[in-house]
Amino acid sequence: MQAWIEFGQGPLFRFAFVLMALGLARIFVLTLVNVAEAYRRNPDKIINYREVFNKTVAWFIPAGRLWRKRPVYSLVSFLFHAGLILVPLFLAAHVSLWRQSTGFGWFSLPQGLADALTLIALAGALILFLMRAFYAPARALSRRQDYAWPLLLAVPFLTGYLMVNVSVSASGYQWMMLLHLYSAALIMILIPFTKIAHCILAPLSQVVTAVSWKFPAGAGDRVLETLGLEDRPTWVDKPRLGIEREMTRELPEVKPAEKEAKAS
Amino acid sequence: MNRVRNFKLFLWALLGLGAAVGTARFMFGLGATTNLSDAVPWGLWIGFDVMSGVALAAGGFVLTATVYIFRLERFHGIVRAAVLTAFLGYVAVAVGLLFDLGLPWNIWHMIIFWNPHSPLFEVGWCVMLYLTVLLLEFFPVPAESFSGLAKVRNFLVKLRLPLVIAGISLSTLHQSSLGSLFLIMPYHVHPLWYSPILPVIFFLSAIALGLMMVTFEGLISSYLYRRAPETDILAKLGAAARWVLLLYLGVRFTDLAARGQLGHLADGGWQVTLFWMEIALSAAIPAALLFIPRVRHSLAGLWIVAPMAVTGIVFNRINVGGLVHQQRGETLYLPAWTEIAISAAVVAAAALAFLYFVEKFHVWERRPQDPEAAPAALPRFDVASFASLGSPLVRSRTLYSLAFVFAAAFGFSLLSGEALSSRGVDPAPVEEARGGDTLWIDGNLDGFGTAFAHRRHVERLGGDSTSCALCHHLNVPRDRQSGCYSCHRDMYSVSDAFGHDRHASPAGAALGCFDCHAPDAVKSAQSAKECADCHKDLIPAGAVIEVEDYQAAGYTEAMHQVCLGCHQQQAEAVEKPDLPRCGTCHREHKLLVDDPLLAQRYQRLESRGVIVPEVLEEHFQGIRLAALPQEPVTQIDEP
Repeated sequence: MQAWIEFGQGPLFRFAFVLMALGLARIFVLTLVNVAEAYRRNPDKIINYREVFNKTVAWFIPAGRLWRKRPVYSLVSFLFHAGLILVPLFLAAHVSLWRQSTGFGWFSLPQGLADALTLIALAGALILFLMRAFYAPARALSRRQDYAWPLLLAVPFLTGYLMVNVSVSASGYQWMMLLHLYSAALIMILIPFTKIAHCILAPLSQVVTAVSWKFPAGAGDRVLETLGLEDRPTWVDKPRLGIEREMTRELPEVKPAEKEAKAS
Repeated sequence: MNRVRNFKLFLWALLGLGAAVGTARFMFGLGATTNLSDAVPWGLWIGFDVMSGVALAAGGFVLTATVYIFRLERFHGIVRAAVLTAFLGYVAVAVGLLFDLGLPWNIWHMIIFWNPHSPLFEVGWCVMLYLTVLLLEFFPVPAESFSGLAKVRNFLVKLRLPLVIAGISLSTLHQSSLGSLFLIMPYHVHPLWYSPILPVIFFLSAIALGLMMVTFEGLISSYLYRRAPETDILAKLGAAARWVLLLYLGVRFTDLAARGQLGHLADGGWQVTLFWMEIALSAAIPAALLFIPRVRHSLAGLWIVAPMAVTGIVFNRINVGGLVHQQRGETLYLPAWTEIAISAAVVAAAALAFLYFVEKFHVWERRPQDPEAAPAALPRFDVASFASLGSPLVRSRTLYSLAFVFAAAFGFSLLSGEALSSRGVDPAPVEEARGGDTLWIDGNLDGFGTAFAHRRHVERLGGDSTSCALCHHLNVPRDRQSGCYSCHRDMYSVSDAFGHDRHASPAGAALGCFDCHAPDAVKSAQSAKECADCHKDLIPAGAVIEVEDYQAAGYTEAMHQVCLGCHQQQAEAVEKPDLPRCGTCHREHKLLVDDPLLAQRYQRLESRGVIVPEVLEEHFQGIRLAALPQEPVTQIDEP
C-alpha cells in the first residue's frame, strides 16, 4: 500500500503533471498554428479582431449573456470553476509540498476558505451532473464523458476533504490518499486530450470561431442556410473577397470627348 | 511514406526524453544526472558526442576534397549530403559539449583567453572555424530556394575553393588534435590504446569513418525514402575505404610492435577483449569484406559493412575517451541512462534537421517526395470513427508533438527524487573537538584542522558566562555550552538540529502529532509549536547568533561563520588586518602533517592542496597531536 502511495506521489505524479503541462502547451500551440494555416489558405482575410477580443473577454465575465439566460447554471458553474481552480493550486498543503520538493512556494488559502471552496466545488459537481442528467436539452447534447467528468473531478476533492476534516483509521486514510493521488493523476493525464483542455484553449475560442466560420470560404453562411437561419445576425463580417471587390468596383467612365482626344 | 513518419516519430520521442533529462541536467547539475566523478570526469558525452561526433562528420572534408580538389566528378551527387551531415554533426558536437561543460555559459572564454599550449584550445578554435566554413559551404543549398539570396549565393559559390581548402586544413588539424588531447595521459590510457602517434591514428580513422558514414547515411536515406541507392558510387567509396582501413590497421599494429606493447595482447582481461572487438568491428572485418567485389557492389553487403565500421570506430573514440582509462581502484564507469538519453536526443535532433533539409531543399539530385506536402491527397478518415485525420501536414504535426510530449513526461517520471538530488558530497560525520584550554578542531579528523585557544578567547571576550553565549548560541536540552558538533553533525551538509523523529518516536519523547501541531492546520514547521514553548532554556541569555529553522549548517561553514564574523569585526576594532585571514587560524597543518604517525594517512590527502600562507613554525616546534591537550598554546593570538 505504502509503495503504491509513493508511486503515486513520485513517478506517477511527475508523469501526469508534466504530461498535463506540456500537453496543454502543445494543444495551445497546435491550435494557433492550425488557425494561422486556415487563415493563410483562405482568400477571405477580413477578421474583426476588436470584436474577437471583446467576445473573448465577455465570455470570461460570469455576468454575461449566460447569466441573463440561465442564471442558476451560470452561478453554479462559476462557483464550481472557482473551487476547481483555486483549491488544487492554492491549498496550503499542496503549496508546502511544492515548496518542499522544488524550493518554490506561493500564496496559499486559509484552511477554512479552502474547505468552503472544496464543499462548493463538490456541490457544484453534483448539481451540474444532475442538471445534465435531468434537463432534457442538456441531455440531448451530452456524450458519455460529459456525465463522467463532474463525477471524476469530484473524487480528489471528496477524498481530500475527508482526509483533512474527518478522522479515520490509518488504513482508511491510506486508501483515501491512494484514491486522491490516482484520481488526480488520471485527471491530469486526461486534461490535455479531452474537453477539459478548455482550461487553456478558452482564450482562443472566439478567434477559432471567427476564422473557421470562413474556412472554407463561405462555410458559416452555408451552415446558416442549411439551418434556415439566414436572417439571424452574426458578429462575423460578411465575406468581402478581394476578387469580388475588384469585380464590383465601378470603372471610371471615360468621356467621349477625351476618347476622341486620345485617339487623335 | 510510413517509414519516414515512423522514423521521425521515434526521433521526436527521443528528443522528448532528452528534453526531460536535459532540463534536469541544467537544473540539478552533472553530479545528479551522470555517473561521472572526479576519477572519471570524461564519459560518454565526450567519447560519443564530441569525439565521435567530430569523427562522424569527417565525410564532409573527405568528399569536398574528392570532388572540388581532386575533381572526381562522379561523387558530385553525394557531396551536398556529406557537407550537410558534417555541418549538422558539428552543430551536434557543440550542443552536446554544452551539456558536458560544468559552466557552459563560459564556452566563449577560449575566444578571448588564449592558451596556445592546450590541444583543447586548438580543437576549440578549429571546430569553431570549421563550423563557420561548413555553414558557408552549405548555405548556397537552401539559398537556392530564395531568390533574394541569389547574390550571396553566387558570392559563396565563387568562394567555394578557398572554403574547401580551409575546411580540409582545419579538419586535419582538429581531427588529429582530438587524439593529442590524450598524449598528456601516458599512464592513464591503457597501453593498447595509448600511443605517441594518437593524432595520426585519429586522423586516419576519421577519414575511414567519414567514408563509411557517408555510405551508411546514403543507405538509410534510400531506405527511408524508398529511392534507389547510388550503389556504384557507394561501392567506389567502399573501395577507397578498404585501403584507408588497411592502412589504419597496419599503423595500429606497427605502433604496438614498435612500442613493444604487443605482449599486452596475451594479458587476458576485459581490456584485451575490448581491443579485439574494436579492431574486428572497426577495421579488420570491414576491410576484409570490402576487398570482396560482390560485397562492395551489393546493397546487403554495404548494409553489413558500413554500420559495422561506423560502430567500431565510434567504439574506438569511446574507449580512448574514457572507457579504457585506468581506474585506480574506483568502480568502473558505465554511462547512466540519462547520459545515453542526452546523446541520443542530440543525434535525433541532428537527424530531424537532416531530414528537414533533405525534404525542403535540393540536397540530393532528385528531391524525395515530401510526405507532408501533398496538397492533392484526399483526406483520410479513421476507419472506426470516421473522424478526419486531417491533412498529412496536420496529422504529422499532431503525431510528432504527441510523441515528444509523452516521451518528455515519461522521462520526468523516470528521474527519481534521489536522482535529482545530487549525490555530490559524501556524508562526513563530525568528531568532537578535543583538548581543554586549547581545542584541536578537526571535524573529519583529516589533520587539516586548527588549534583553537579556547581559554584565551574566553578571557578576551570577558571571561564570564555571557561570553560563552557569543559562540555557544544553542544548547542541547539539559545541557550547557553544548559543543558545535552536537548540532552541526556533518562537515559539509546541512544536518537537522531539531530531530522530528526523535520527538515522535516512542523510544524518544513519544509525543503525538497534536502535541505540537495545531489539529486544524497543515502539519508543517510553521504551524507547529515553538521549541521554546517546551524547552525553556534552549537559547542561552546573551546569544547573538539567531537560530531560524533548526537546519544546522555544515560544520566547516558554521565554524567559518562564527569565527570569521567576529574576526572581521575585531580586525577593524583592534587594527589587526591579518585577523580574518586564513593563516591566522590555519597555520599548523604542516607540522602536524609532518608527524610520522600521521604521515601515512596524509599521503592520500596530499592532493587536496591546502595552502597555508604563513606558517609560524617557531611557535609550534615540537607540538604533536598527542601533546596538544596538555600544552596550551598561549601565544596564538599574539602577532
